[in-house]
Amino acid sequence: MSDTSTSDEQTFYSSYPDSDIRLVFQAVIDILPLALAVVPWGVLCGSLAIEAGLTPLQAQCMSLLVFAGAVQLASLSIIGAGGPLSSILTSSAVISSRHLLYSAVLREDIKPLSLAWRCLLAFFLTDEMFAITVAFKARYNIFSPLYSLAVGFMFYLVWNLATLAGILAGKLLPSLQEYGLEFAIAATFIAIVIPGVRSWSVLGAVLASGLTALICEWFKVSQGLIIATVVGMACGFLLSFREEKV
Amino acid sequence: MTTSWWTIFLMAAITFYCRYLFFTTAISFSLKGPIKRMLQYTAPSVLTAMWVPIIFIHDGNLTSGLDDPFLLAGIVTVVMSVVTRHTLLVVGVGIGSFVLARMLLGQG
Repeated sequence: MSDTSTSDEQTFYSSYPDSDIRLVFQAVIDILPLALAVVPWGVLCGSLAIEAGLTPLQAQCMSLLVFAGAVQLASLSIIGAGGPLSSILTSSAVISSRHLLYSAVLREDIKPLSLAWRCLLAFFLTDEMFAITVAFKARYNIFSPLYSLAVGFMFYLVWNLATLAGILAGKLLPSLQEYGLEFAIAATFIAIVIPGVRSWSVLGAVLASGLTALICEWFKVSQGLIIATVVGMACGFLLSFREEKV
Repeated sequence: MTTSWWTIFLMAAITFYCRYLFFTTAISFSLKGPIKRMLQYTAPSVLTAMWVPIIFIHDGNLTSGLDDPFLLAGIVTVVMSVVTRHTLLVVGVGIGSFVLARMLLGQG
C-alpha cells in the first residue's frame, strides 16, 4: 500500500548517485525545469536594468553579485522611478528576509562545513536551490554539499545568461516589457506558492498578503510589498494558534 | 540619474547576509518558538505580494475582467498548480495560455 503514496520522482532516482559526476549530473537534471522557468524573468531583469539607466556592465554585475530575481526587479522599478537608496535597500531586505528561513532550515547541515563551502552555498541559496535541496534530502535522507552547489551554480549560470540576453535584446527591442514577460514571474511564484498551501494558516497568509498588496497597489501606497508581507505573516501566525487547538 | 555601483554592492551585501546569517558558527542560536512560527509564512506572503499585483493591476487600474490575458492565464496557472506539482508544466501551460489569450484577444 505504501507504494501507491510514493511520488513519480522516486521511481526515477531509486539509488543514490554513486559518484561525484553522477551526483552533479543529477543536480543539473533536477534544477533544469526551474532554471528554464526563470529564463523569461532573467531576460526581463536585463532589459529593465538598461531601461532604468544602468550600464550593461552594471546590469550584468547586478545579476552576478546580487543573484536574486525578486530583489533585482523590485529595485529596478524603484531606480527607474528615481526612488531613494533607502527604499531600494529596505525592499531588498524585506524580500530577502525569506532566505533567513532557508538559511535556518539548512543550518545544521551546512554549519559543520568549511568557511569556503558555507560562503559558496550561502551565495547560491535561492528559492529554487532550497526547494531542490530539501527534495533531495527527503529522497535520500542525506545532505550533499556538492549536489546543492551544482544545483545552485547551474541556476546561477542560467540566470546570468538570461540577464545577458535581456541586456542585448533590450538594446534591440526597447519595449521588451510589452511582451508580457512579467507574467512569467507571476506564473513561477504561483507554481511555488500554491502547492505549499496545505493548511488554513498558510491559506490565510496568502489571501491576506495578496489582498493587502492589491489594496496598496491600487492606492499607490509606497512600500506596499513590505506592508503586505507583514500583514500576511501576522495573519498566518495568528491562524496557526487556532490550528494547534484542533 | 546614474545608478551608483554602491547600490549594487549594498544590495549584494543584503542578499548575501540574509542567506549566510544562520550558516555562521558564531551565533549559537536555534530558531524556536514564535520567530520560527512567523518565518514559515514569509515565503508565501512575500511571493504572493509580488504575483497578485502583476495579475490584477495594469497601469494602476484593476483588471478589466475576463478579456484580460493576465487574469485569464493567471486563473489557468492557479488551477494547474492545484492539479499538478510539476513546476515546469505549471509555468509552461501558464505562459502558453497567456500567449494564446493575447493572440485570441488581439493584443499580441
